[in-house]
Amino acid sequence: MRRMISSVRDGRGFDLMLVGVPFAFLFALAGLPLIYNILMSFQEVDMFSLGSFIRPFVGFDNYAALFRQPETWPILTNTLVFVVGSIAGQFAIGFGLALFFWTSFPGASWLRGLFLVSWVMPGLVVGAIWNWILSGDFGVLNFLLRESGLIDGNIFWRSDPNFSLWAVIIANIWLGTSFNMILLSVGLSAIPGDLYEAAEMDGANAWQRFWTITLPMMRSTIGAIIALGLIFTLQQFDLFAAITDGGPNNSSNVAQYWAWDLSFRQYDFGRGATISVIMTVFVMFAALVYVRSTRHEVRG
Amino acid sequence: MTQQIELSGVNKYYGAYHALKNIDLSIRKGMFVALVGPSGCGKSTLLRSLAGLESISGGDLVIAGQRMNDVPPRKRDLAMVFQSYALYPHMTVEQNLTYSLRIKGIKKAEARKAAEEVAAITGLSDLLHRYPRELSGGQRQRVAMSRAIIRHPKAFLFDEPLSNLDAALRVHMRKEIRALHDRLGATSVYVTHDQVEAMTMADHVVVMRSGVIEQQGRPLELYDRPANRFVAGFIGSPAMNFIPARTSSDGRSLVLDLAGSNAVELERSLPPERELLVGIRPEHLVFATPGMPGFDVPVAAIESTGAMTYVTTATAPEIVVVLNGRVTIAAGETVRLTFDQSNLHVFDAKTEQRIEPSA
Repeated sequence: MRRMISSVRDGRGFDLMLVGVPFAFLFALAGLPLIYNILMSFQEVDMFSLGSFIRPFVGFDNYAALFRQPETWPILTNTLVFVVGSIAGQFAIGFGLALFFWTSFPGASWLRGLFLVSWVMPGLVVGAIWNWILSGDFGVLNFLLRESGLIDGNIFWRSDPNFSLWAVIIANIWLGTSFNMILLSVGLSAIPGDLYEAAEMDGANAWQRFWTITLPMMRSTIGAIIALGLIFTLQQFDLFAAITDGGPNNSSNVAQYWAWDLSFRQYDFGRGATISVIMTVFVMFAALVYVRSTRHEVRG
Repeated sequence: MTQQIELSGVNKYYGAYHALKNIDLSIRKGMFVALVGPSGCGKSTLLRSLAGLESISGGDLVIAGQRMNDVPPRKRDLAMVFQSYALYPHMTVEQNLTYSLRIKGIKKAEARKAAEEVAAITGLSDLLHRYPRELSGGQRQRVAMSRAIIRHPKAFLFDEPLSNLDAALRVHMRKEIRALHDRLGATSVYVTHDQVEAMTMADHVVVMRSGVIEQQGRPLELYDRPANRFVAGFIGSPAMNFIPARTSSDGRSLVLDLAGSNAVELERSLPPERELLVGIRPEHLVFATPGMPGFDVPVAAIESTGAMTYVTTATAPEIVVVLNGRVTIAAGETVRLTFDQSNLHVFDAKTEQRIEPSA
């Protein structure tokens, strides 16, 4: 005991404590639930065994049963479409805006800051706003599309199975674009200006400078933003709750929303946990890409 | 003689700030021109205007017979070596060298051959597959040079390329750049704040201050006949001594404004009754034997580097004397200084312009 106290007092062991406290925190609040979740995916869990830790072990039964369900593959496909669509949209528009504000016209940094408004808004509020915009009868989006001649009749974004998933993707792109833009702006401003001058002297036009200087210099930033985008889109829950509720008929349902639905609406905790475990594997992969791309930063 | 670069009446404004004022400059093909001056004098702005990285507000810029005022940098066919080197960090040395060729659409094998040839000249052959971050400062400098050389441009523009190197390497690279210039028969414009660099490397030195060309000419011309006090003080190290003085009513003698009787009989005449600044370089002052004409000054400090001795006087203004070898005097003693009158530079006290004595 005396040794422990003195080890803290003289600084030795203090480093261990600095590592230990956050580690204990992470283990208690992230590690344990994760392990518990994995454990549940191999158990038979119902309302009556919810309170106990030791429950009947069923092996991979939950996984097998899950993939026997007819809605599983459509929902996983939806998840893929949602993730790819959201990331592609957020990245393309975010990069476009970042390049636009990079030209630093008067007021550029101020305007860029304003764009963050969309990102600080709670998902449920964003969902409510987009419910109005997407509304089939009086929505602004339908009005714009109709007036510009792109569609003839109204699209019922939220209740048409062909569009319901896209309704959420559009809202999610709007929500995540500014975050992409800010991170990409930081990446752009880190590129030394004299590289562009050197490239210009070397005969490169604007397009060639973009492909040979900007994009390769942005590689680590782009890798990070796409990995973060994958993590954030797989976490997106509020927009589904607010806009489509996964419907109609699971046409806009995705894995993360389904996991919650199975666990807390249908009280099938085993299968809910099983989906979570499958998603965890994907997020782990994204995290790996993120860590790798931030480690391989290219700086002169 | 063909003029490779010609500027006439070039002006540059940043808003209300007048950065370049009526610059006239002709650069012959094959010439090595140094733009030199203190920071903020406009030398870098002038170089960047040549490159096209800055636009000029007025006047004409002609490169190889073509008016270039509004031609973008990539179509001017000039190569620039940046102070920061501006190497592409995500490319190997070879890719850095061949960048301009690849942009032009030259075939890979051909570009590689060109890179190998240039690398052989600049001693980079073993480093072609390294990245810039794996190179030393001197090696990066060579890559920056090679990237310029590979293009065979109409002219090379150097923007203080040696200022990030240590002193010994700087002296070495000075010779190397000049040798390369001669070997390639290139036309070079070289910006530096170091007058020694300008004097030793250039055929033609342009001294600038506050956006104005104060004087231009061959290096020794500037040293021997500086047009005004600024150039006189800027060229040469240690700097020229300036002593306020006044000419007599007949203009045949000069009274130096130092303690004691310091009248100097002139061999040639100057305008009578004029307030002047007399300039004399430290290396042109010598100790006089007693009885010889000269002036007596108390010694404040003596510094010896072995080969040279620097003597500083306790006068106002302070006078510096550079002597070869060593001296036996000590601080506090009085010495008699003299000089050859042909080494005397005379400037008007007000306009600071050079005054030539008449016979």
